[in-house]
Amino acid sequence: MIPVRCFTCGKVVSVAWEEFRQRRDAGEDPGKILDDLGLERYCCRRMLLTHKEIIEDIIPYQ
Amino acid sequence: MEVTFSQLDDTVARFVLSEATHAFANTLRRAMISEVPTLAIENVRIYGNTSALFDEMLAHRLGLIPLKTDLSVHAPVDSCACGGEGCPGCTVIYTLSVEGPRTVYSGDLIPQDPEAVPVHDNIPVVKLVEGQKLVLEAQAVINKGKEHVKWQPTVACGYKNYPVITTSEECDGCGMCVEECPRGILAVDSGAVSVLDGRLADCSMCRLCEQACLSGGIGEEPGIRIAADETRFIFVVESDGSLPPSEIIKHALLYVKDKSHDLVGVLTEISGGIADEEGS
Repeated sequence: MIPVRCFTCGKVVSVAWEEFRQRRDAGEDPGKILDDLGLERYCCRRMLLTHKEIIEDIIPYQ
Repeated sequence: MEVTFSQLDDTVARFVLSEATHAFANTLRRAMISEVPTLAIENVRIYGNTSALFDEMLAHRLGLIPLKTDLSVHAPVDSCACGGEGCPGCTVIYTLSVEGPRTVYSGDLIPQDPEAVPVHDNIPVVKLVEGQKLVLEAQAVINKGKEHVKWQPTVACGYKNYPVITTSEECDGCGMCVEECPRGILAVDSGAVSVLDGRLADCSMCRLCEQACLSGGIGEEPGIRIAADETRFIFVVESDGSLPPSEIIKHALLYVKDKSHDLVGVLTEISGGIADEEGS
């Protein structure tokens, strides 16, 4: 699951994740999406850019 | 001491603090970060968790959810009339009961006090598939940022000195510093370099313009000089939404005032009243 907040500054970044993922998968430029979502600091931007969702993989092993 | 706001809304405050010292600016910053109380989930009683995440991981995620705080309603647990046992005056109880398949969001937390709702109702907590269930009760208390970051009302909170940019007669308006400036705040105007209107505060004081000027072979002294005004500070206070920035600043200042009064009291006591006489 996406971390609730940015590790560095503490901004709540998880609210932007679902929109970010949808738009990124639709082929939009990640940098532009992050600008739209109001994530201006590079600490918050890397939270979404570098996130890999693995919850689907661990669900079978509850 | 003077404060001029350039931006003040529900999430961000930008202001210039003038005629102050470094010590005071830093005191204010530290007070805003660690001495303004807010509400955050502290205890979680889990009745059922068949999700993919461990109980403690869920509790950690819940703790980081910012909650709308009204400091006139809720008091810190240690100064509450109930004596730390937990009462509606210092704690808020939330219940959550969700069955899969769907994602659990912060909006699924049902508060006992309808005012103390999560700031965002779309923070994903955990994803559930068919047959998975999550039932829990969470207890949020008021505390301060020095105890744990989840009680910090601020997100990015800091200050910098007000920049002072001066150009000397050496400047021939070659424009090398204008190209070098990463913030783009300089311009060549009638044969000399000047700062664009209203952009001075954007200067990050990186001094790349000074270096560019020197590399142009102007001599030992650059034609443009970047200095810091030691008595003016540009503050940025960003709130996580639990309290508006104006409230954060107000509470931090009240805290600084209280602490200064305490200090005067203690000094008066240990010096046997001498400090008081000298002060008056």
